[in-house]
Amino acid sequence: MEIEGFNFPEGLYYEKNHFWGRVEDDLIVMGMNDYAQLMSGEIVYIGLPPLGKKLKQGKNFTKMESGKWLGKVYAVVSGELVEVNEELEENAKLINDDPFGKGWMFKIKPDNLDELDNLMTDPDEIGEWIRGEIVEHGVAS
Amino acid sequence: MSEPLELSKKYQHMVTQCSRCGFCRMVCPIFDITKNWATNAGGKMVLIKEIIDEKTKPSEGIAKSLLNCTTCMNCTINCPSGVDPPEVIRAARKDMVNLGYDNMFKAMSDVIAKTGNLYGEEEKPDWGHKHEKAPYVLFVGCVGTYRERESVEKTIKLLDILGVKFTMIDEVCCSGVLEDVGYQARKELARHNINEFHRTGAKTLITTCPYCYRTFKNHPFYKDLNLELKHITQFLAEYDFKVKTDKKVTYHDPCDLGRHEGIYEEPRQIIRKIAPNFVEPERTRENAMCCGAGGGVRGSFPKESITIARNRLRKIIEETGAEILLTECPSCLHNFRNAKLRRWNIEIYNITEFIAILYKEMDVRETVAA
Repeated sequence: MEIEGFNFPEGLYYEKNHFWGRVEDDLIVMGMNDYAQLMSGEIVYIGLPPLGKKLKQGKNFTKMESGKWLGKVYAVVSGELVEVNEELEENAKLINDDPFGKGWMFKIKPDNLDELDNLMTDPDEIGEWIRGEIVEHGVAS
Repeated sequence: MSEPLELSKKYQHMVTQCSRCGFCRMVCPIFDITKNWATNAGGKMVLIKEIIDEKTKPSEGIAKSLLNCTTCMNCTINCPSGVDPPEVIRAARKDMVNLGYDNMFKAMSDVIAKTGNLYGEEEKPDWGHKHEKAPYVLFVGCVGTYRERESVEKTIKLLDILGVKFTMIDEVCCSGVLEDVGYQARKELARHNINEFHRTGAKTLITTCPYCYRTFKNHPFYKDLNLELKHITQFLAEYDFKVKTDKKVTYHDPCDLGRHEGIYEEPRQIIRKIAPNFVEPERTRENAMCCGAGGGVRGSFPKESITIARNRLRKIIEETGAEILLTECPSCLHNFRNAKLRRWNIEIYNITEFIAILYKEMDVRETVAA
């Protein structure tokens, strides 16, 4: 679905630090949303932590950086980090080019799938939230 | 916007002094990744001469091209004709801005004026050492504060372990970097820092950032500093440390510390005390390759900047087989950490940060033994 010109694919779970999660077998794949990748500018670095790291929903666990911005990455669910997108190490711009596809960031083995209930899936709720973000932060040209 | 550059006679002379021999290609970090002659120092001298002679009109493209230089001075050191290309390029960048070819650093200048730091960050960390009277005052700078905070915390920890009586101030950006990218340093920020330094009663100013060190030492806005100035490696060179590592350690000379300020020996004095297994990279001291972060390149060409750091790091690993790479510059540290690939078995630290880690490891060992 498209909201205010930004792509928010259906079937994904969205959280308010601008990351998304997708159920893939028994894992959760996560990445950055379309609005955030545009606002960040060209992403040049994302820290890829060691596998096995324990993550907590809503807590930051690594950093990412564009030429103008340093940001934190927040876990969409609690669990164990089981895979990182190694292509991002030398080509972090994939996050800009294909935020929901080749620009995926991490795979997490979730502790409790019920945590997905804390994330947004309803288009009206996502729309209201992203419109608020645009009012507060604008849209990068 | 068609006026020629107004470079001073000194710089115009330097441009004509360049014999186009191309020696600068061998050491230019930009040429190293582009393999394009127009992008190295000699190419830029030709470009500038063409504009001075009004054979080429200034343009956005030329302004951007002039920004693509880390001002590392490796070309200066290796120029048989005695040209100092970074000085000429800095002057030409100012001319381009004056001609109306604004660049992204106009925004940075505004951000520094508004927030007092390079990154527009609103919140300052509390390092816990503010506004106490002390013989020494420590200045950590924007890159350390907002990009390598944990490293700065460890440096502060080390000074505490060593019993150094120091204080810190409500820092604002030294703003020297603006001079590198076509703008002017900001007098009101310099005045703020000087006033804050003087309020502490300190006699010695210690900087962790080589670029801030250069600004404090050389910029006319800091002529009233009236403090002994030391980079932290100079300050700690005579200290003894109770810790050592068996690991193979190497060192990267930051351009701002080495070629710009001639500080080569003090970092090594410290490293030799803590790392008996110390090896030099092939390109070291005045011949060290740049990490790619300087001269505004990290801001204007971040991807290329990281590529330069990755190339330097790859070479260091191949040449030395070191497990630990040390430096003492927040910009080099940050760029190398961003550039490091996961499969590379090397850890990267500032020297002071690494020594603090060794002390912590010693504490843990002693606790376990007790």
